[in-house]
Amino acid sequence: MLQSVTCLGCGCGCDDLTVRVRDGRIAELSPPCPVARQWFGDGSVPREIRTDGQSTTVEQAVEAAAALLSGAEHPVVIIAPDLTTRAQCIAIAVADALRAEVDGTTSDSAAAGMLVAQRRGRAAASLGEIKNRADMVLFWAVDPRERYPRYLERYAAAESATHVRSRRFVSVSVGDDRGPEPAELAAQFAPGEEVDALAIIQATLRGRRPGELPPRLQPAVAIAERLLQGKYIAVVHDAEALGAGRDPQRVEGLLALTQLLNGPTRAALSSLRAGGNRSGAEAALTWQTGYPMRVSFREGHPHYHAGRAGLERLGSDGADALLVAGSVAPLDHPALALGRIPAVVIGPRASAMAGARVAIDTGVAGIHEAGTGYRMDEVPLPLTSLLEHPRGAAATLGLLLSVLRRRAEAKPG
Amino acid sequence: MSAKTRLRIVGGALHDPANGVDGEERDVCIEDGRVVASLPDGAPTLDARGMVVMPGGVDIHAHFASSSCNHARRLIPEEHAADPASPPRLLDGESRSGSGGTVPSTFTTGYRYAGLGYTTAFDAAVAPLLARHSHAELDDTPCVDAGIFALMGNDEYLLRQIERGERERARDYAAWLLGAAGAYAVKIVNPGGIEAWKAGQRNVTGLDDEVSGRKVTPRAILEALTDAANQLGLPHPVHIHCNNLGVVGNAATTLASMETLAGRRAHFTHLQFHCYGGEPGKGWASAAAKVIEYVNAHPEVSVDVGQVMFGPAMTITADAPVEYLLHQSSGRRWTNIDIELESGCGIVPLTYKEKTAVSALQWVVGLELFLLSQDPWRVVLSTDHPNGGSFLSYPALIQLLMDRAVRDDRLKQVNQRFLAGSALADGLAREYTLNEIAIVTRAGPARLLGLQAKGQLGVGADADVTIYSRDPDIARMFSTPRYVVKGGTLIVEEGQLRRAPAGRRLRLAPGYDDAVVRDLRKHFEAYSSVSFDNYPVRDLRDAPLVIGRTA
Repeated sequence: MLQSVTCLGCGCGCDDLTVRVRDGRIAELSPPCPVARQWFGDGSVPREIRTDGQSTTVEQAVEAAAALLSGAEHPVVIIAPDLTTRAQCIAIAVADALRAEVDGTTSDSAAAGMLVAQRRGRAAASLGEIKNRADMVLFWAVDPRERYPRYLERYAAAESATHVRSRRFVSVSVGDDRGPEPAELAAQFAPGEEVDALAIIQATLRGRRPGELPPRLQPAVAIAERLLQGKYIAVVHDAEALGAGRDPQRVEGLLALTQLLNGPTRAALSSLRAGGNRSGAEAALTWQTGYPMRVSFREGHPHYHAGRAGLERLGSDGADALLVAGSVAPLDHPALALGRIPAVVIGPRASAMAGARVAIDTGVAGIHEAGTGYRMDEVPLPLTSLLEHPRGAAATLGLLLSVLRRRAEAKPG
Repeated sequence: MSAKTRLRIVGGALHDPANGVDGEERDVCIEDGRVVASLPDGAPTLDARGMVVMPGGVDIHAHFASSSCNHARRLIPEEHAADPASPPRLLDGESRSGSGGTVPSTFTTGYRYAGLGYTTAFDAAVAPLLARHSHAELDDTPCVDAGIFALMGNDEYLLRQIERGERERARDYAAWLLGAAGAYAVKIVNPGGIEAWKAGQRNVTGLDDEVSGRKVTPRAILEALTDAANQLGLPHPVHIHCNNLGVVGNAATTLASMETLAGRRAHFTHLQFHCYGGEPGKGWASAAAKVIEYVNAHPEVSVDVGQVMFGPAMTITADAPVEYLLHQSSGRRWTNIDIELESGCGIVPLTYKEKTAVSALQWVVGLELFLLSQDPWRVVLSTDHPNGGSFLSYPALIQLLMDRAVRDDRLKQVNQRFLAGSALADGLAREYTLNEIAIVTRAGPARLLGLQAKGQLGVGADADVTIYSRDPDIARMFSTPRYVVKGGTLIVEEGQLRRAPAGRRLRLAPGYDDAVVRDLRKHFEAYSSVSFDNYPVRDLRDAPLVIGRTA
C-alpha cells in the first residue's frame, strides 16, 4: 500500500492518493476519482523497442534515432506531458543539440492565455490559497466537476480553510459551457456576448455605470456588484477550452478582470489545466530558453515563434524529422502525418504508434518513473515509482543526447 | 587542464583580505579543488604576472533561480529576443544556448556569473513550497555553488506560533523548514505585510501594526526569527527585507527595525531601498547618512546595498503589495502570485532613468551607503539582481566606487530634484581600493554567509579564483576576467568560458524537536494543498553542510 501518491490525471495534482499494488499491477486506488482511474489504469504499459517495426536493443534503437535526427535539416521535438520534468529538460537539451524546433503538446490550446499573460501579466494564486482564502468564487463557463473532479472538494469549495468559514458562488454559463449549480448568482450569456459582459463587469467595477443595457447583458452589472462583496475572489476558468463558438478574447477579459479586482478587493485567476505534466514542460522550457512554448533553436539559440500555431504548422513548415518525447497523444494530430515525417518516439506506449521509425517504450511519469511533476498552478510535486519498467524516459533520452553529442564531436570540422 | 588537477598560479598581485594579503605578489597553489601550501616542482603553472588575483566572487543576494524568476522570464520575451545567447565553445561537457535580458535563462545565468568571475551565489527569496522548483533550476545553473534563502516572515504556521507565544516551537519550525526546503538561510520579507496583502488589509506600515487582525506584529516576527536563526547557530543570520520598501520616509522604519534587534546578529538586505527620507506629498530625500551611521556603530548589523543602476531592471519580490503600487504608478505589466500559507510574489519590469528624480535619488542613496560605510566587511555589494539592475552591472558599479571622476561626471547628468543635502551631491572623495573591492564582493559576503572556505585563498580554502588583467578602465577590467578557476577547474581561459562544471548545493538541515513534526502534520492536513509527506525536497545531489563547519 502506497500513500500520498501524486496523480497527474488532470491538473489538480492531487497528492493524497492511496494505491495498492498486487502482482505488478495497480489493484486499488482511493479516493475513487474517475480521472485518476483512467490515468493510472492497472499500470501496465508496453515494454518494446522497435526500429522499422523490428524488435531491437535500446542501444541500437538509440543509434538509429540519433542517425535519423542528426541527419535532418529541420528536426522537430515534441514534449508530451506524461514525462517527469527532468525527462522534459533532457528533451529540450536534445532539441538544443539538434538545433531543432521544440514545443509542448498543449501550446495550441493554452497559448491564448499565455500570450495575454506575457503582454499584461496576471493575478493568480496557488490552489491552496484559493482553498484557504476564497470566500467568493466566480466560475466562468466551466463546471470543474466534469474534467477536474476533485477541484471543488480540495480547493474552491474545501471545508477546511485558514481564513474562510463560508463561500459564495457565482456561476456564469456561456453557450453550452455551463457553470456549476447551485450558485448564489447564476447568469447565462451567448457566446458572442461574453466579451461584452466582461467589459461591462469591468466598467462597473471602475464605477462607470453603463447606460441602457439589453436585458441579456444586465446580469453583468449584478455580477460586478456581487464580486465586490468578496474579500478574496477566485475567478475560475478552463485555460484549455477551445472549440467552436468560444471567444478567444475571453481569456484577455478574465485576466483583465482579475487584475482589476485587486484594486477594491483581492482576487486571483485560477486557470484549469488538463492532465499530465504540461505545466512542467512550460516551466522547464521557460527556465532553459526564456520562452514557455514554440521555441526554435534553428539559429543556434532560442527563438520564439509566439504567434505561430504549434503542431498545426509542422506539416507545412519543412520539418523533416520528428522526435516525440512522451506519449502517443500528439501523434493523433493529422499534421504530424507520421508516414510523411520520419519519427522517433521515446516514451510511454511508443510502440503502439504505427508509423514511427524508432519506437522505444518507457515508463509513465508518476507510475513507473519517479521525479517531479507540476500541478496546474505550477506547484511542483514529487512523483513516485509505483511499478517497475525496464526503461525510464529520462535515462533513455539522456542516452540519445549522449549519442548525439558523440556523433557531433566525431563530425569532421 | 582537466578537472581538479594541480595548478600553481604564479606571480599575480594577490588580494586576499581575509588573510591579510593586499596586492602582494604571491603564488596560489591548488590541488584537488582546494588551496594548498605548496606543490611539487613540475606542477602545471598559470602565469599571472602583472595581473590581479582574487578569490571568486560571492553574491550574497540575487534572484536567479526561483518560480518567481520563471514568472518574470515569461514577462519579457522581447528582452530575450534582443539578447540571444549561443552555446559557449566549451572544451568538454554540456554546452547550452539560452537567452539573456534582465532575467536570463538558467544555463546563461551560470555562464555569465562565471564570465564575471563569480563562483558562488544565493537566490535570496524562495517560498519553501516552491523550493523543489528552485533546486531544479539550480541543477541547470552551472559554474556557481549556490543556495536559496527560505521565506518565513509571513508564514501561517509561524505567525500562529508567535501569536501563542510559542517561540521555541517557532524556532523548531524554522529549523524544520530550512531542511525541508534544502535552504541555507532564513529570509524575512516585509514581515507581516504579505499576509496583510493577502488578507485584504493591503499592507502593514509600522512595526507594531497588527497583522490581519491577529495579535502578531512585524516587530514580533522580526524578533522571533532573528532569535531562531541565532539560537540555531546558523552560519548566516536572519536576512531581512524591512517593511515599507520603496516608500518615502521609510528610513524611520528601517532604523526602528535595527533598533528592535540591537545586540542581535542580523543582516539587512538591499538597504538602499530602505533609506529614504522626506514625507509623503512633500518630496523625497536621502537618509543614507543617518542609516549608515547606525550600521557603522553596531557591529552586530550587516547589510548589502542593493544599488540601483540606470537601465532596464526587473522587480521581482515576495513583497507583493509593493509591486501592486508600482504597477499602479507605472502602468507596467504586473504579475501577482499568492502562495498558500507562506508568501507572495509580485513582478513588474522597470527602467531606472537618470532623468527620473526618484531613480536618481535611489542611485545616489546606494552610493552614499557604500562611500560612508566604515566597515566594508559589513556593507557588501549587491544590486538585488535584477531588482536594482543586472548582476552584469557589477563592474560598472565597482568603477563608480573606485573612480571618483567617473562618479562625479555621472552625478552631474542625473536629475537633481531630490538631491539637495545629499552627501554625494556635497562631494564624497572616497575611492575604493582593490582590496576593499575584494572585501565587498568576496571576502565580506563569504564571511557574512559563514562560508569559511569561500571568499579567501588560505590553505584549505575552496579553489575559486578570479584573475584580472590590469586595465585603467575599471569597468572593463572587472567585466572580463582573464582566468577563472572554480573548485580547482580552470573554467575561463583568456576571457573565454571553456568549461562549465555543475556547482555544489549549499544547504543546511538544522536539528529540531520532533514535537513540531506531529503538530505540523495536523496543520498540513487541515490547510495545505500538498501532503505533508510530499512537502520536503528530497534527493538533492549534495548533502547538507554541517553547521559550524560550513563549506
